Amino acid sequence: MKAKPVEWADAETGKLFTYPAGKPNIFKQGQIIYAQEGCAHCHTQMIRPTYMGYESWRPDFGKEGTVELPIRIRETRSGDYDGEQFAYLGVQRIGPDLSNVGYRHDEQWHHEHLFNPQSKRSFSIMPSFRHLYAKRKIKGQVSDSALSNTDLEGEEVGNYEVVPTERAKALVGYLMTLKKDDPFSNSTEDKSENNKSDVKAK
Amino acid sequence: MPQEKVAQEDIQHRIDIDRSARFPVLFFITSAAVWLAVAVVLGFVQQMKLHSPGFLDHPSLYFLNYGRSNPAFMGALVYGWAIQAGIGVCIWLMARLCSAEVKNPITLIVAGHFWNLGVLIGVLGILTGHGTSIEWLAFPKAVWPILCGAFSLIVIWLITMFHRRQDKEVYISVWYILGACFWFPWIFITTNLFIHIFPGSAVAKAATNAWFMGSMIYLVFAPIGLASAYYIIPKIIGRPVHSAQLGYYGFWGLAVFGGWTGIQKFMGGPLPAWMPAVSGAAVIFMLIPVLIVTINQLMTLRGNQSAFNSSPALRFTIAGISFFVIYCIFSALSSFLAVGKFTQLSLTSIGTQMLAVFGFFSMTMFGAIYFIIPRLTGSEWPSLKKINSHFIISIYAMGTLLILNYFGGVWQSSAYAKFDAPLENAISAGKPYAIGASVAWVFILFSTFGFLLNLISILLRSGRREIVSKFVGHQESSG
Repeated sequence: MKAKPVEWADAETGKLFTYPAGKPNIFKQGQIIYAQEGCAHCHTQMIRPTYMGYESWRPDFGKEGTVELPIRIRETRSGDYDGEQFAYLGVQRIGPDLSNVGYRHDEQWHHEHLFNPQSKRSFSIMPSFRHLYAKRKIKGQVSDSALSNTDLEGEEVGNYEVVPTERAKALVGYLMTLKKDDPFSNSTEDKSENNKSDVKAK
Repeated sequence: MPQEKVAQEDIQHRIDIDRSARFPVLFFITSAAVWLAVAVVLGFVQQMKLHSPGFLDHPSLYFLNYGRSNPAFMGALVYGWAIQAGIGVCIWLMARLCSAEVKNPITLIVAGHFWNLGVLIGVLGILTGHGTSIEWLAFPKAVWPILCGAFSLIVIWLITMFHRRQDKEVYISVWYILGACFWFPWIFITTNLFIHIFPGSAVAKAATNAWFMGSMIYLVFAPIGLASAYYIIPKIIGRPVHSAQLGYYGFWGLAVFGGWTGIQKFMGGPLPAWMPAVSGAAVIFMLIPVLIVTINQLMTLRGNQSAFNSSPALRFTIAGISFFVIYCIFSALSSFLAVGKFTQLSLTSIGTQMLAVFGFFSMTMFGAIYFIIPRLTGSEWPSLKKINSHFIISIYAMGTLLILNYFGGVWQSSAYAKFDAPLENAISAGKPYAIGASVAWVFILFSTFGFLLNLISILLRSGRREIVSKFVGHQESSG
């Protein structure tokens, strides 16, 4: 059972919102790849409240090359995982938390990072996921999605290109939808209304 | 003299029981040992990959990436080695404690084949990229009904055995074994149904998974390990358990609190706050039955230090129980918010699992295997030296892993908590500890392969043929 979406009104503008807002909120095929490749064994998707640490944001979490902040930074709530097959909250933090990774980079960056993580982050201890990418002969124009940080050598340069497979596309599609930050109401007024509706439902 | 005759008959009866149990017990223990070999190799690979992704980094070896080798290692360790060794030891203990010969071993062998098939599909499934990334349940979805069916057969067999018992007294070890054989199917079926079959919120499924792991340790591994300890320690010392009453209190304490544990690992997570709170409290309350068990065992052991030196089975069992006590104390500490925020989501979480499955459970199983195998094969362990080195190296390796994973985890978490520092600091903070743990893993590899070589040579009967064990402290006097 999913949590019922809750309607709430912005105190200043009076505009109506629902939480959770997005439906469906993640790219499911990609989550399957995320599970099969075992990403959840090093990455968490769980931002704890500030009394357990300040972990929603760090200086290099912004868009590549900028210090642009994500839209909203808050701890994760149970509604953020609605529609997912399984909430991959995580085991340990060998890499960064991915709850809001959708804000941090563009798709091309993710593909190149998955292909060769150390080319993007020299200190990275992430393995290469090059088995999700295919090398093929260039026919006509170079593909838009061809990677720039490939390990092509000699004659292959200029004749071959490395492009993401469907699995890689699904995985990156999933990463791009990871934005666990739907706004919700914090006011006591709304809470009391929810309680009332709960009582009615019983 | 009639007394001597009775004793002679007793010994003959035990030999008959051992002979009848030989085939199924050896089947489970040897297949468990093969899985242990697979698990330690995968374990070493995943540990190396944790800090050096360049290790074995060949385009064709992508299936060894940490994300696949780690769950495959855990699957092989938990289902291939630990549970299977547990089943083998349980069958033998039940036969001895019920004082009845093993009948219908074919049921057990069939169940064993299916169990091994399930684990094989599971481990290969994870490595070929069909895993679910759910901790301890990472096998492809199709595997759990196979495991479930196989285990049900074993449960039916154990209950039938209990019904056929010749010995009127129900020993504390039997309580623990029967407890585990009901609890495992309950935990396993519930978790799989809620995660794979029933619709439910994603977060509730994650919580079910956390509950599964906690319950597996406290309601499956703990009772089997303790059942073995409650049998082997008094047997080797040659006197009964200090207090049967305390034993029952310990059992019920475990039964009452064990099923509430696990979810404390998501403290501060997106769950209702009462769930981790209740689990945390249960883990702290678990210290009561653990204290009872420890006192009981220590009182049984009192004044028998010499047996500790002469019997490897006893040494392994005591080491296992000590690791269990350490595990329970550390888990209780980690259930406090102030400590837990540093230990959860860090190297500590894998370290804790290793402590429970390898430090506690495997050690007690090694003890039981060192005790059982000579009695089943009628020959002595070929190399006492290998047993001693297995013991000492395992203790050192596990101790090192324990220290590195706990301090490393806290250090790593503190680095992640420095939100104004770049990510590089946080990632490099855990690295030295992971490298240290790899060194400990080399020792685990060494000691485990020593054990396996010893096991192979005793099975091939290359050992000295002696019915009465010298260094397993053979002093069986009663029951």
